[in-house]
Amino acid sequence: MSDHMNAAQAESEGRNGDRTLVVERVFRATPEKVFAAWTDPIQLAKWWGPEGMFAPDVEMDARTGGAWRTVMANDDGMRVTVSGRYREVSPPDRLVMTWGWQQEDGTRGHETEIVLTLEDVPEGTRLRLVQSVFETADDRNRHGMGWNSSFNDLERVFA
Amino acid sequence: MSQPDLPTVFAALADPTRLAIVERLLAEGERSAGEIAEPFSISKPAISKHLNVLEAAGLIERRIERQWRVCRVRPEAIRAVDAWMDRYRAFWSVSFDRLEKLLEQPDN
Repeated sequence: MSDHMNAAQAESEGRNGDRTLVVERVFRATPEKVFAAWTDPIQLAKWWGPEGMFAPDVEMDARTGGAWRTVMANDDGMRVTVSGRYREVSPPDRLVMTWGWQQEDGTRGHETEIVLTLEDVPEGTRLRLVQSVFETADDRNRHGMGWNSSFNDLERVFA
Repeated sequence: MSQPDLPTVFAALADPTRLAIVERLLAEGERSAGEIAEPFSISKPAISKHLNVLEAAGLIERRIERQWRVCRVRPEAIRAVDAWMDRYRAFWSVSFDRLEKLLEQPDN
């Protein structure tokens, strides 16, 4: 853990510290194909979420500034909605999006930012996902996000 | 204080000064309020307000030791954040398994 003394520095280092999730995997497919799996609603519905989940409703405007929304459901009748905006769409190398739960009344819950980088490697594509755990108040104000709750949604998805 | 309320915890951590305070206490252990305030260019009363927010969110606890107010992070709050992160890690791990299978299928 870094020993930073300056608040502004802390803001950027906090994001790179252990409050950020990093998941990497090599997929046996071209970057174009992997990128498409993230931005084509029909494909996304086939893999997003745990086993047993399906996405009956996916909307995506996969362009910088565009919005996306998906309902995740399972056979037990559980439904959750996640949505966000694309901050950057640069196929096939980079995708930056916000990701947050949406309540039934339309209010947004906790939001995180996901940065995807796709690297062309001999085996296919190395996909690196970096998810910030939370954003600072400045980020929220800039991007118009809210703080209303529902962390329970992720648990329901795994129930 | 009982089970940390995650939305409140996250709102408390969303301020860069408060995040820096918590990160420092995690790295160094206990510190007095004066030591905490020292590196920041904002006023001591402003730091005090931040400490109040952190305490109300259950992230830190304070006690009086002689002439000092000593602050430390409450492990329960950090465990709650870590558990939340673990759930996201699991979410992506399982999703990526399904993505692998999808990508291995012949094209439509």
